[in-house]
Amino acid sequence: MSLPRLKLRSQVVKRMRQFFDERGYLEVQTPRLVGLPGQEPYLEPMWSSVREQDGATYKAALISSPEYAMKRLLGNDLDKIYDLGPCFRNEEPWDVTHDPEFLMLEWYRKQIGIQALMDETEELVRFVSSQVEAPQAPYLPIGPFRRLTVSEAMKLYANMDLLPLLGDREKMSEVCRLHEQSVQETDTWDDLFFKLFLSEVEPYLGWNQDHSKCQPTFLWNYPLSMAALAKANSIDERFALRAELYIGDLELSDGFAELTDSVEQRKRFQEEQALRRSLGKEVWPIDERFMEALPRMGNAAGMAFGVDRLVMLLAGTDSISDVMPIPVRKRF
Amino acid sequence: MASPNEIKKNVVIQDAQGLWVVSEFQHVNPGKGGSFVRTRMKNIQSGKVLERTFKSAETIDLVAVDHRRMQFLYKDQSGYTFMDNENYEQATMSEEDVGEQGKYLREGLEVHITAYEGKPLAVELPKKMAFKVIEAPEVVAGNTASGGNMTKEVTLEGDLKIRAPMFIKAGEEIIVNTETGEYVERAK
Repeated sequence: MSLPRLKLRSQVVKRMRQFFDERGYLEVQTPRLVGLPGQEPYLEPMWSSVREQDGATYKAALISSPEYAMKRLLGNDLDKIYDLGPCFRNEEPWDVTHDPEFLMLEWYRKQIGIQALMDETEELVRFVSSQVEAPQAPYLPIGPFRRLTVSEAMKLYANMDLLPLLGDREKMSEVCRLHEQSVQETDTWDDLFFKLFLSEVEPYLGWNQDHSKCQPTFLWNYPLSMAALAKANSIDERFALRAELYIGDLELSDGFAELTDSVEQRKRFQEEQALRRSLGKEVWPIDERFMEALPRMGNAAGMAFGVDRLVMLLAGTDSISDVMPIPVRKRF
Repeated sequence: MASPNEIKKNVVIQDAQGLWVVSEFQHVNPGKGGSFVRTRMKNIQSGKVLERTFKSAETIDLVAVDHRRMQFLYKDQSGYTFMDNENYEQATMSEEDVGEQGKYLREGLEVHITAYEGKPLAVELPKKMAFKVIEAPEVVAGNTASGGNMTKEVTLEGDLKIRAPMFIKAGEEIIVNTETGEYVERAK
């Protein structure tokens, strides 16, 4: 990695801390090694074990996100917190946008909704971009960030109406065939959605119309089946209050107006466990300490933000290995 | 049967509509979704270009193709003609099939050709190629002071035009990335 990029990376991290410190956030350093990691069906933790001196042994995993620990802290009277540290994901491609160990910024704030969360994310990107020296940043976002709901984006780029298709696998298969996607018997509604979305929508989201300039865009209001830990939109409960930020070819962040209903949360965890089982993947118990803290968390929204990817944009490079102090292929 | 994880540039996929050669591919893991392989592919028979995304867990039909090392001979009305370095067989590809890459082809250049049943489908150029600069505008005094990342348009041999740093002069050789069409560095 070049020295200017190493310095840029360091500046970005410092400015992120400054942004949140000046806004009265508390930096929390949540554990990297935990007993019960997140169990999203498509994320694989890195497993290890911890032994006490007397030989007592605990199964342990490196976190894929600090989410559970941060929400437990929110349940303890904290209301504005951020965490900036490495996260780990196994079995992902080692390509231009992925490294199995990456730097994640995650923050939570009580009493705000999804729109205010998008506002704060936009302010963060603008602040950091304006404070660092990045002469090589052709992607430096300047204009206002666009906000599109998933339905609006599907209409705009794939010319399809999402609403009548929600939950209807048969209709969704028909649309996929019309759009010349491969349709398999084993494809779920979400799989079919992603085939269309990834082919016809996602590559264009972060760009202006003629693909000549970056157009930072928040995609929000996801079908409820992709809600993860987001709560349903009270105006239309078929959708969830989740938002992702795209700039150029990169997806930079993913955030939610957080679900705090522990009955609904348990139901979603059980569905995730069932999906993991059906995919032949390992399943572990629900984190009951997290479940216990959830109702005390209160109304909050939180965002997970890929720091390495922002550095890529500011450095004007299209490969994550260019902004890692030691790229993954030179570590293993 | 094969897995979409085996997709690479220039592999050939077979489905009900015939044979498709993959020109671009990318692994994508949307948040909270499974893993997918996004491709851009072209139908060998109809020439139709499509963006199609496969789920990593599904199965696809990959067709065996030949990878031949060939030398570019010449371009005429019928297209670009190449010669196999081992058996001296010649093959011609249409201007459309060669596409954008045609502008980098120079007589005698060795390339990799993907072929199916003798029919050439795709050309793979060396990723970095050296070109002589034929024309480069003189730098106006004062222009260089405004930053090290200013560029200008230069003309290379074969009438190729690209953006290069201000300090590049006519007569020099520069390295071009043939995948992105961007200037890399001065040739050593």
